[in-house]
Amino acid sequence: MSEPIITFDNLSIGYNNQAVLSGISLSIFRSSFTAILGANGSGKSTLLKTLLGLQPPISGYFNIATLDNVPPVFGYVPQAVRLDPLYPLTGFDVALMGSYGRAKPGHLVSREERLFVRECLRAAMAEEFARKKFSKLSGGQKQRVLIARALATRPDVLVLDEPTAGVDAQATHTLLEFISQIHRERQLTTLLVTHDLALVRKHAQHVIWLHGGKTLYGTTKELLSPEHMREIFEMEIS
Amino acid sequence: MEALHHILSFGFLLRNSVYTSVLIGFACPLVGVFLVLRRLVFVGVALPQISSTGIALSLSLPLWLGFQATPQSGHTLAFIGSTLFSVVAILVLAFLERRGRGLPEGRLGTAYVVAAAVSILLLSKNRFAELGWLDLLKGEVITISNFDLILTAVTLALVLAMLSLFKKELLLVSYDRAFASTLGKNVVLWDMLLYLLIGLTVSMAVLSVGPLIAFGFLLIPALTAQMFARNMRQLTIFASLFGGAAAFIGFLMAYQWDLPVGPTDIALLGIIYAAVFLVRKVLSLIKPISI
Repeated sequence: MSEPIITFDNLSIGYNNQAVLSGISLSIFRSSFTAILGANGSGKSTLLKTLLGLQPPISGYFNIATLDNVPPVFGYVPQAVRLDPLYPLTGFDVALMGSYGRAKPGHLVSREERLFVRECLRAAMAEEFARKKFSKLSGGQKQRVLIARALATRPDVLVLDEPTAGVDAQATHTLLEFISQIHRERQLTTLLVTHDLALVRKHAQHVIWLHGGKTLYGTTKELLSPEHMREIFEMEIS
Repeated sequence: MEALHHILSFGFLLRNSVYTSVLIGFACPLVGVFLVLRRLVFVGVALPQISSTGIALSLSLPLWLGFQATPQSGHTLAFIGSTLFSVVAILVLAFLERRGRGLPEGRLGTAYVVAAAVSILLLSKNRFAELGWLDLLKGEVITISNFDLILTAVTLALVLAMLSLFKKELLLVSYDRAFASTLGKNVVLWDMLLYLLIGLTVSMAVLSVGPLIAFGFLLIPALTAQMFARNMRQLTIFASLFGGAAAFIGFLMAYQWDLPVGPTDIALLGIIYAAVFLVRKVLSLIKPISI
């Protein structure tokens, strides 16, 4: 197994000193595909926000391993529904934002970067949406553009926050196949937040399961085995 | 045609007023675009009013401190008061908005009426300031000195330069704050810069054309352009052009028919807004459009 890229050590997370989850201790390994699974309100988004540095932890700490003393780049894919449709942006405009991390303030995005963004759109099979208005795209099309944007950051870790929310079954299947393909081809550490057990079972190697204030961590095979799941749900009923 | 010839002639007595109106018309929509996109329209209503309270306070200061202000120093004081009040107000309002507690509309409505009431109270006790204040409320863009014009031009050029220079950062933090953070952008810093630019523009506009007209120029051109713009470049260019054109044509009409300039400008912007809305509706009936 490769070395850990993210390590949580007795971490408590939440808002206004009110812990949503406590005692999280686990490691996410480089090039792994890990799903963060849990029902609504279980703390999935809080964990993600803490990891991305958007929310400070209440206690404990987490370590993100550097690569040649450079912190890893997170390619964050938010839920498309969270982005305001009022902005008149094309698919290309949105994807181009992925290159803004490398462009200095006050400088234009270089021609090379623009070409690279086009490549990312092509890789995400979203090239045909480049000139279309982002707000007019379907849920699945928007997610592809957002994945292209995340790829344009040249990420070390791809973080996807419920990318299939509001996407129909067929598009969900295609989208997850595509994410799996990127993970395999680029050996990209992938973190997928979802509440869809079937998707996790099919695509993820590891699972962080947030359930009843507890954090369970293991391989997909062991954690989502019928015996283990029965045990978890019986624990809840009792 | 004769009125147009008059206005464009070098010896035209009110030429500074024309230039100032057009400058405000071009510049206000550029920051107004961000108010509209960030859904801070009510901030656009309250801010000019709060800014005018800053002017009222500045105009009252000489009286309270027992000295007579020259027109130049009076204007400088008003500029400082207006800028200070707008910048502090937008920072506080934006902070409360971000915290997401309470009722934002209620807060902004309260700020608006209290600011208006305080302005009237301050000026009711100041016999020197009252006259100028009434002109400002009506949007009478008449007494603009060379100094006022230069101050307006320099401030607005600064705002324009900052907006062009940092357009990608300002767009990024406005559109997707979380993503901007993951790219290592200091979102608080960029927010502060944007609010500072909005505050400066509003204070300059209020000082020249009054709170009502400033509000109109901040929002109507941006809302009009938003109906058909396909990208950010089109949105900002068309909003600015609508504002500048309405300011110039409005001045021309006001001069021709002896009308107050500010309200003529805003009525014209309203007509442009309605016309664009109708054209868009008709086009969508003929052929479904994807704008």
